[in-house]
Amino acid sequence: MDAAWMTTIVTWLTMSIRMSIPLLFPSLGGLISQKAGVYNFGLEGMMLCGAYFGYYGSYVTGSPWIGLLLGMVSGGLLGLLLAFTSIHLRVSQLVTGLGIGVFGLGITGYLFRLIDISTATSAATLFSNVNFGKLSSIPIFGEIFLSHNWMVYAGILLVILIAWFFYHTTSGLNFRAVGENPQVADTAGVNVVLNRYLAVVVSGILASMGGAFLTLTQTAYFTENISAGRGWIAISAIVLGKFNPWGVLLACLLFGAADAAQMQIQVMNLGIPYQFLLMIPYILAMLAMVGFVGKVRSPAAMGKPYFKH
Amino acid sequence: MSELSNTSNTSLPIKERIILFARNNMGLISTSISILAIGLALLIGGILIAIAGINPWEAITYLIKGSFGNRYGFGETLTRFVPLLFCSLSFAIAHKSGFFNVGAEGQLLMGAVGAVLVGAYIEGLHPVIHVLLCILAGIIFGALWAGIAGVLKIFLGSDELINTMMLNYVAILLVDYLIHGPIKPPESYLYVSATILPSAKLPIILSKTPLHLGFIISLLVTAGVFYLIYRTPIGYQMRTVGANRRAASYAGINIIWATVVALLTTGGLAGMGGAMELMGTQFKIVNGFSAGYGFDGIGVAVMGRYNPIGILLAALLFAVIRVGMGAMQRGAGVPFPLLNVIQGLIIIFVIASGYLTNRLSETVIGGRA
Repeated sequence: MDAAWMTTIVTWLTMSIRMSIPLLFPSLGGLISQKAGVYNFGLEGMMLCGAYFGYYGSYVTGSPWIGLLLGMVSGGLLGLLLAFTSIHLRVSQLVTGLGIGVFGLGITGYLFRLIDISTATSAATLFSNVNFGKLSSIPIFGEIFLSHNWMVYAGILLVILIAWFFYHTTSGLNFRAVGENPQVADTAGVNVVLNRYLAVVVSGILASMGGAFLTLTQTAYFTENISAGRGWIAISAIVLGKFNPWGVLLACLLFGAADAAQMQIQVMNLGIPYQFLLMIPYILAMLAMVGFVGKVRSPAAMGKPYFKH
Repeated sequence: MSELSNTSNTSLPIKERIILFARNNMGLISTSISILAIGLALLIGGILIAIAGINPWEAITYLIKGSFGNRYGFGETLTRFVPLLFCSLSFAIAHKSGFFNVGAEGQLLMGAVGAVLVGAYIEGLHPVIHVLLCILAGIIFGALWAGIAGVLKIFLGSDELINTMMLNYVAILLVDYLIHGPIKPPESYLYVSATILPSAKLPIILSKTPLHLGFIISLLVTAGVFYLIYRTPIGYQMRTVGANRRAASYAGINIIWATVVALLTTGGLAGMGGAMELMGTQFKIVNGFSAGYGFDGIGVAVMGRYNPIGILLAALLFAVIRVGMGAMQRGAGVPFPLLNVIQGLIIIFVIASGYLTNRLSETVIGGRA
């Protein structure tokens, strides 16, 4: 294999990891919420808010950390709203989620147009890559795995944490019971309402981190509708990952690899219209649902409001 | 009569009287709750305008003047009403049939593509026939686009929500490709589709305004859709499948057939909306042709509580807000995405207020004993 191909493949693998992260955060968020029995269809709106407020905070203060924090607060608040309507008011989780999506698109676009006009340079300060010292100069391995910012590693660490929480702790067992059979969980003394609230709020925070990843590690700018449907693809990734954190990681890597591939093919200029290349992640999300729905068992009480007797 | 009910009422304790009033006026109460929800959304919109350093009262003046304060604005509002109505009917009929179609945006775009192909490339037809063929093409293209999600659902059990949403993005990219080449007029240096022929254009029905025949057609279609749902056997079957799939299956209803009809109707309606928008207003497809009508349609259907009068009023309100928001942007410099903020809030508040109406009807029914 010649060197040019080698470089292409290494770049592709590096980009695959990087492009899977903005999907991994909302997917894990959606997973947590669904495990507790609440659909989060507001992921897209929460991502957009994370992206905008992350950008805004970093642009104003010069610190990406403050930006990230602001983004997480916005996502958490939207999560709280969704939690309140679906847990306390028991109204349609789907419609509320869609409403959050429309609202998120509007509020970020509105606020962005307000600040953008007067400023000459409006770039946000980005998170820099983690410095692994000499390790990063290891050929191939260093470039693929050790050339990322901390959020990439945090995302993977989160997978480990969530898997450990779900399957190796008592609270995790209780948490999953809330999504499987809330009546039984309640009888056993598990606080259904509290668990669901926590799940949906955390879900919102994680989704907004996925959005903030876009503006604070990749683009440095906000653009309207920057998430481009990732909040919806995330739901497909959860199904493809069979409601398991490790499965979700693999699904996100697959989507990331597809995204990275289409980006590289665009650069190669093979004469394929770029619109068809950009379609790949969406079509993949549809195919993912086709192959696995029916064979995958979702949490039994998912989407059903809980009435305490 | 009033005297009688008054005497019988005064003997009841106050709580019972409230319940009695509520039972007799459920429609009025749920409407008032909806109006409160809208008021709250508009209030937050006003606060956001104030945050931007713009006088909200001035902005609202532009909204009112722009949307129905003059002849042209009034016509424009009723023009915007047309695609909104089609998309909300599309969402409503799918919802009644137990199918979540969030893909009206893509189906509308594909409908416009169908209409542009017939409208721009088939020459020498009588205007009536040309218009009818264009509409038919719009319906077919919209129905086929929804049909992709339908095939995946019926044969592979795949969730239609994600698929219809994904098909929106695919449709936007596909149309972008088409206007960059295949349906772009060779002489044009802009990325647009060919313009439809005069014989395929819908006539203006109110002079000095953009209001076209599609407005009348949309009202007739609304009547037709609700006739289909509530007065025909297939409509009954669709509603039964939507309400309870298992019960429908026990009742011997052909679920697949009911779903197919629901799908073709939901996609066809959105596609027809695209055809109307093309033939009455824009005449060619440009980037951003749809401007979010598909998603607005969901808000309209939710706010209209899926009933015909409610949907007509809600579509009118959304059209007023959309046109007024354009005037606010031009006049007072309020950024246009405020439209989505308000519509998103309306969706959230109206759906959340469903809790109050639910509780109220529970109390009313419980209060009878």
